[in-house]
Amino acid sequence: MSIFNTNCAGISRRDGLALGLGGLVAGGLSGVLRGVAAAEPRPNSSSIGHAGLGRKQADACILVWLDGGPSHYETFDPKPDAPAEIRGQFSTIATQTPGIQFSQPMQKLAAISDDLAIVRSIRHDQGNHGAGNHYMMTGAPPRIPVGCGAFVSFHPSLGSVVSHEVGAPEGIPAYFSIPSMSRSGGPNFLGAKHAPFVVPDDPNRSSFRVRDVTIPTGLTDARFQTRQQIRSEVDRMLRFNQAAAGDPAVAADEFFAQGLKLIGSRQAQTAFDIHQEPSPLRTAYGRHPFGQRALLARRLVGAGVPFVTLYSGGWDHHRDIFKSFDAKMPPVEATIAALVTDLKQQGMLERTLVVVLGEFGRTPKINDRGGRDHWSNAMSVMFAGGGIKGGQVIGATDRHGYAAVDRVLSPENFVSTIYTKLGIDAGQAMRTPEGRPVHLVSDDQPITELMA
Amino acid sequence: MNAVIFSRSTVILVILTLTQTLSPAAGPVSFQLDVQPILSASGCNMGACHGKQRGQNGFQLSLLGFDSNFDHDAVTRGARGRRVFPAAPQQSLLLQKAAGELPHGGGVKLVPGSDDYNTLLNWIREGARRRLPDEATLQTVALQATEFTLSPGQDAKLKVVATYSDQTERDVTAHTTYLANDDTIVTTQSDGSIRAGKLPGETAIMARYMNNICVANVVIPQSETLPARLFSELPRTNFIDDLVYAKLQKLSIRPSEPSDESTFLRRVHLDIIGRLPTPDEARDFLADASPGKHERLIDDLLQRPEYADHWAGRWADLLRPNPYRVGIKTVLNYDNWIRSQFRNNVPYDQFVRQIVTARGSTWQHGAATLYRDRRSPDEIATIVSQLFLGVRLECAKCHHHPFERWSQSDFYQFAAHFAKVGRKGTGLSPPISGSEEFVFDSDKGSVKHPVTGETLTARPLFGEYPQSDASTDPLTPPTLRESLADWMTAKDNQFFAKVQTNRVWEAMMGRGLVMPVDDLRMTNPPSNPALLDALAKHFADIDYDIKKLIKTIAMSRVYAASSTPNSTNVADRLNYSRHYRHLLRAEPLHDAVLDVTQSTSALPAMPPESRATQVWTTRIDSLFLDTFGRPNENQDPPCERTPDSTVTQALHLMNSAELDKRIRSDTGRAARLANSDLSSAELVDEIYLAAFARFPSESERTYATELVETAESRRDATEDLLWAMINSPEFSIQN
Repeated sequence: MSIFNTNCAGISRRDGLALGLGGLVAGGLSGVLRGVAAAEPRPNSSSIGHAGLGRKQADACILVWLDGGPSHYETFDPKPDAPAEIRGQFSTIATQTPGIQFSQPMQKLAAISDDLAIVRSIRHDQGNHGAGNHYMMTGAPPRIPVGCGAFVSFHPSLGSVVSHEVGAPEGIPAYFSIPSMSRSGGPNFLGAKHAPFVVPDDPNRSSFRVRDVTIPTGLTDARFQTRQQIRSEVDRMLRFNQAAAGDPAVAADEFFAQGLKLIGSRQAQTAFDIHQEPSPLRTAYGRHPFGQRALLARRLVGAGVPFVTLYSGGWDHHRDIFKSFDAKMPPVEATIAALVTDLKQQGMLERTLVVVLGEFGRTPKINDRGGRDHWSNAMSVMFAGGGIKGGQVIGATDRHGYAAVDRVLSPENFVSTIYTKLGIDAGQAMRTPEGRPVHLVSDDQPITELMA
Repeated sequence: MNAVIFSRSTVILVILTLTQTLSPAAGPVSFQLDVQPILSASGCNMGACHGKQRGQNGFQLSLLGFDSNFDHDAVTRGARGRRVFPAAPQQSLLLQKAAGELPHGGGVKLVPGSDDYNTLLNWIREGARRRLPDEATLQTVALQATEFTLSPGQDAKLKVVATYSDQTERDVTAHTTYLANDDTIVTTQSDGSIRAGKLPGETAIMARYMNNICVANVVIPQSETLPARLFSELPRTNFIDDLVYAKLQKLSIRPSEPSDESTFLRRVHLDIIGRLPTPDEARDFLADASPGKHERLIDDLLQRPEYADHWAGRWADLLRPNPYRVGIKTVLNYDNWIRSQFRNNVPYDQFVRQIVTARGSTWQHGAATLYRDRRSPDEIATIVSQLFLGVRLECAKCHHHPFERWSQSDFYQFAAHFAKVGRKGTGLSPPISGSEEFVFDSDKGSVKHPVTGETLTARPLFGEYPQSDASTDPLTPPTLRESLADWMTAKDNQFFAKVQTNRVWEAMMGRGLVMPVDDLRMTNPPSNPALLDALAKHFADIDYDIKKLIKTIAMSRVYAASSTPNSTNVADRLNYSRHYRHLLRAEPLHDAVLDVTQSTSALPAMPPESRATQVWTTRIDSLFLDTFGRPNENQDPPCERTPDSTVTQALHLMNSAELDKRIRSDTGRAARLANSDLSSAELVDEIYLAAFARFPSESERTYATELVETAESRRDATEDLLWAMINSPEFSIQN
């Protein structure tokens, strides 16, 4: 749809971006002037370049979504000096980085903290799951009030925007969500083309295959070839090839060819085949569904997929938070640590952004069921890779963890960081199919400490 | 910026000497009449720049300058008064930024020394006043000419004249902004000049000057005129043909030939009942040589039970609320109610009246669900005006509508009809929200203007409430919602009939006369205004009977045209000179796969023989339906679907394990045909009729017969043939 690909001046978005970047390279200007230089060659552009829009720093993002809102206390923002009813049962552990401490369950991540940046000061005002999910996953608060159980979409999600703006080679879908879509992970007005490709099956099973991208089980290559040949005989519908005719059969041909290319692409098929991974590495990721899904995510990124959401549910600990964390967190954090370590060993970490978060943090006081409730005044987000400087903590909550008080950041800053890293102009105005201009992010300022 | 500040005193001296050389503008400068138009024409107050909600870089203007007081405040008082500096006007941030003398994200907007620059300069020098004494007000804005017929590449000039309360006129062409709906047809320049593109076609140009909008229509006819006889000799069934052909004649576009009978058969089946004809139905229709067979087929289809499911599904897209929000039982109840309306062919005005005036339990009366889903008068007003009037008021909630005449007062006065909607029972507390709620007409509740705080009286968007029926009891006057329903459904309310007619037309023809279908406004004119008027009038004349409307459309020659273009209409995508192909909707395509493979659905929580058109909530999982663009349950209604095809769709038809199972099932069509006594040629005929609703051509029959005949396994070959057909566009695209 041309409406999506052209800005006001009729220049395609990517051309526009290229122009802007060209100006940058040529000018070699300082940060403040970058936006101006980028904007000048295209005065009619609907996008105003921002200080943050500069060099693309990452090719891909793996977003680990811990659905329910993991506690900031029990992960990256422990408060050892707070009273017991706030501090909780876990101790505080030192990390690889002097001066940075994590909570007791985060053992494996603590050991690689020199590669991690922790933002402790994101806060927002959406304290229920439906709204919190939407705000963090899209950078836009829900347009109308929604409740906890809501699955809502008023704005395109991170992954859908990346799919739209970056794309993937070889007919590979550009946005994967494993094993399910997150609540607000849909494309909204960007359309079905940018919906996540969901891989529901468990890669930990020996029979695992990524759905639809390989020839159905029980069908030989030869028979698949025969079918192609029959199809070429049977398919006799006239095509109206002039672009002006707008023939959907011509578009369908393009996607059919892409699909075939995907099936025939060794690179793509290798990416989907997790069974090719050496056994020790598979063990390092953890021989459980989440572990193997993380490994699949790395393989997909290696094949050129720019955005993968790894979804993990059950982080809504209204009761027995310590018992639950003891059981649940060690394998998950070990997987995330294995993912970061593996990316680094493969030489992919520099260009791959890994982000770990949920929709909000949890209440300071432990409730009478031994749990913590929803709390959007403070949350912690972990970043690794994509050119970020590791071994740093950005922002802080107050001494008891009630609220982000230092370097207070918003969900808008959070998503703008991911977009800017991936070379996407977070300040651009997109157009809905109805032609309504919509800002990708209302505040396009990324978290500067994470920008190189 | 620091550098600028400390050197200010020196700069002032320099500037003071410079300014003396500048010629003063004639007369005092008005903020509203002179300055704001310059800000608008320079794009300062656009939605992407300072006009957006939080402004840009700390400077916010009202969107497109609808609020002069706000803008005056922002310019004169914001940024600690640094934006205007009457003592040294050129030092004003407003000018320095706009002139690019200081870094400006928006680039250079005003050239120093230009008329516009000098106007701003003089305004600042005169003290940056909000109003002049006895200031006139802008009254009307008009285009000097509104109809342009151009040849390819030809230039023309628009002229815009503003008239003021003191009877003066001004040429405001240079401060008007222009936007062509299709800039491949015509391009516009900021000075009002327009240039026709290379291809024949037509489009509208919107000209906007200070919240006043005018529209010019541009037509670029084919260079070669077609003989009038060609059109007078075209066979016609009804007014649709007359009006479409009249337009085509004006554009010198020759309509395509009628489609062949099997294409018509497949098309009308999919359009009216959302399913393929069976091989027997296809055989019968194709063998029928008697006159009137089209009409008989259309009448039969309109009586089929699938009709209700197929058409109710379209309305469910528009109405179906998020189950997490309103509760699953309420969703089911709403769905049942919508289906029953179509099953009983309830006239459209009554369907709408029931929703607008709904009272009662959300578990008993489906129509009340709208008020469970939408809680506040403004939310209800937005969806009611869009769905039933095709008027999008969302913009007017926060500011004057940028493309329309609707103001914030219009919006909230319309919303006031829903001020007294009362609710009893358990409200929304998702994820449970499972409870019942009662909707009633209360005597409490009001709507206030968000800026002035004034309590507003309910008023229709335009016109007056119709005289209420004589039978109305004076002791029980109509409720606000009843009055609104009277006004909405009145036969002289063109918006009401137009938007639904346009929806039905789009469903049948592949493209609405207005797109998006529910966005009727002056700046978004229909491709054939006379036809939309006539269809709307027809719809009112037949008392809003949707089935009759469908029949009228299906009986027209225009509907039955082939999709194959000729040399004059290949680029036509607006005027129905040919049928526009489109991808089948998710549900009919799903059901077509069921039918062609003769397998039963595997939809969770649905009875085994269910069809996708009967699915009543998007919470019923289906990878197939999701892949083919059924609206995501997360989305807020109304959900318009995007018709684009995707690689995941291609992959799903090619490789999906479920589909493969259907094709290779022991009880499926391929197995049944392969195991039958049919000859190979008969088998091939059968499979072509099932998938494409046609017999194979001679060469197709020869090829496929030989394939089945010579294969090692007749069953494998039949399965492969079926796979090949399902994966051909002829299967998934409505031709």
